[in-house]
Amino acid sequence: MIRVVDLKKTYGSGAAAVTALAGVTLEIKTGEFVAVMGPSGSGKSTFLSLLGCLERPSGGAYYLDGRDVGSFDEEELAELRNRKFGFVFQSFNLLPRYDILRNVELPMIYAGLPRRERRERAAKLLEMVGLQHRLKHKPPELSGGEQQRVAIARALANDPQVVFADEPTGNLDTRSSHEIMGIFKEMHRSGRTIVLVTHEPDIARYAGRILYFRDGSLIREEAVEDEVH
Amino acid sequence: MRFTDLAQVVSENLLAHRLRAALTIIGITIGIAAVIAVVAIGQGGQAVIISQLESQGSSRYFEVTVDVMRGEAPTSDTFRLQDATLIKELSPAVERMAPLSYASMIDVRRPHSGGKPLLSQLYGTTPDLIYALNMKVEKGRFLSNIDVDAHARVAVLDAELAKELFPDTDPLGKQIFIQDVAATVIGVMQKPPSSILSMMNQTVYLPITFAQEILNSRVIFQLCGVAVSKEALPQAIEDSLKIIRKRHPASGVHYVGNSMEQQLSVVSKVTSVMTLIIGAIAGIALLVGGVGVMNIMLVAVTERTREIGLLMALGARRKDILQQFLFEAVALCLIGGALGVIIGAGGAVAVALLAHWPPLISFWTILLAFGFSACVGLFFGLYPASRAAALSPAEALRQL
Repeated sequence: MIRVVDLKKTYGSGAAAVTALAGVTLEIKTGEFVAVMGPSGSGKSTFLSLLGCLERPSGGAYYLDGRDVGSFDEEELAELRNRKFGFVFQSFNLLPRYDILRNVELPMIYAGLPRRERRERAAKLLEMVGLQHRLKHKPPELSGGEQQRVAIARALANDPQVVFADEPTGNLDTRSSHEIMGIFKEMHRSGRTIVLVTHEPDIARYAGRILYFRDGSLIREEAVEDEVH
Repeated sequence: MRFTDLAQVVSENLLAHRLRAALTIIGITIGIAAVIAVVAIGQGGQAVIISQLESQGSSRYFEVTVDVMRGEAPTSDTFRLQDATLIKELSPAVERMAPLSYASMIDVRRPHSGGKPLLSQLYGTTPDLIYALNMKVEKGRFLSNIDVDAHARVAVLDAELAKELFPDTDPLGKQIFIQDVAATVIGVMQKPPSSILSMMNQTVYLPITFAQEILNSRVIFQLCGVAVSKEALPQAIEDSLKIIRKRHPASGVHYVGNSMEQQLSVVSKVTSVMTLIIGAIAGIALLVGGVGVMNIMLVAVTERTREIGLLMALGARRKDILQQFLFEAVALCLIGGALGVIIGAGGAVAVALLAHWPPLISFWTILLAFGFSACVGLFFGLYPASRAAALSPAEALRQL
């Protein structure tokens, strides 16, 4: 379970300081699928990277399964990102010089898994997202939808509890977008917590709950009645 | 992260930027090659100079001269012909003693040759010189005491001069003209084993009495002595100086005595300093190469900041990132170092072969060069690597 209390983030200092997150308090239950919506500059991406421990908050508290994440050192945060979290980005962030099998292997390399085990698991994950026939291809040779599927396979490499996705469909056409969301839905069904940032209402409707952000604050939340299945 | 994975990632990264890696390696290679070649050539040359100086004379050799450092020159009263004989008789530490008079640009030719004269050096001396300078007779004989006493008009040629004057006949017993004075060749000396002092070749040796007649001068340049043992050298020099000073109280010059040992230590000091200076210059080349590595690593880090952010998001620890960049830098330096050792050693061996020197590449030089290149890699890799690892993943991902 994720619980944040008065979570704040300020960039810069003094007169040039910009408040990205003005103090957010909320809970996300284990196994929940949450969408975060809001106009650009509303702080939704900052919120996601704070939850994903990609940066530290300027104030407030963050509890993950009851443990105070603020007290973790860099090493522990790295391990958290490696073992418990998976990330999917809008721009895929695949390494273009590696084939997709090796891209999926990366988190397992840092987890210290032996090579054979890594390759087996990476191949299995790529099969799960329907790319078993492309293992030796490099990312630039694939379509946007396919690249995002590689990124999802990579996010799942170390079997994370939580998957954070920052506008995963932002660079995709409608058809690929819904294919990708289908995969997210499946991940959710297998018991993972998903936090998804998007500005498209029909994408947000895949989630069970939508959080609306504006000017760095949580202004409203609603349960999705007619959730897409 | 496992070491094999680290090695794989590093090699993949270097191969992904082949040209850049190659240019960096060249920088280090040139530096290391320069250091190794310079030091090896310097040490080889030093060894050759010393060994040739050693072969030039007995290790018990010493000489008595005037103090040329003060600009003094011997006159006809500085040394007398009898001085050498007397010192040998009076000092138990002195085994041999030969006076030496000297002239250069001496016209030596065969009768009826009509051609160009051969300009040679002339040594006027006594039989003892052969012991002092470690010379060997190839044919005939060297000068004898009878030759000296009788002012005999005889000459001994060195190998070079003999070849020039008598390319296809046996010079023994033949007549030559030295400054238009006729003399008979009684011996030919062996070619000295050394080549570096070959400018001392083309020499004619005459009884000192005969030489003084030809040159019309009684000036004796120095006394060449041999002590009874190495340990007796200081005693031999001291005795010689004491006797000389006593015999020439009115002489205005300062007599000095030098042993071969002293000359050798001066030479080796000079060549060591030279090697050190040139080595230092080569070291600067190495330093420049090191700065090149740092430059490349800085560029690599800046260019790949986003990638670093991604790797940290995927669970890479700062240590992993640090290790990765550090290993990249060290790998560049070690590859460059290895190539540099090969090229530098090859160059040194080539020079040694051309110059007929022993190739002297010391293990320590190689170790030093290699250690230095690894240190350059560590040092210049550390800063950019730590800069890369200090970013938060979100910051790094936002770059570009």
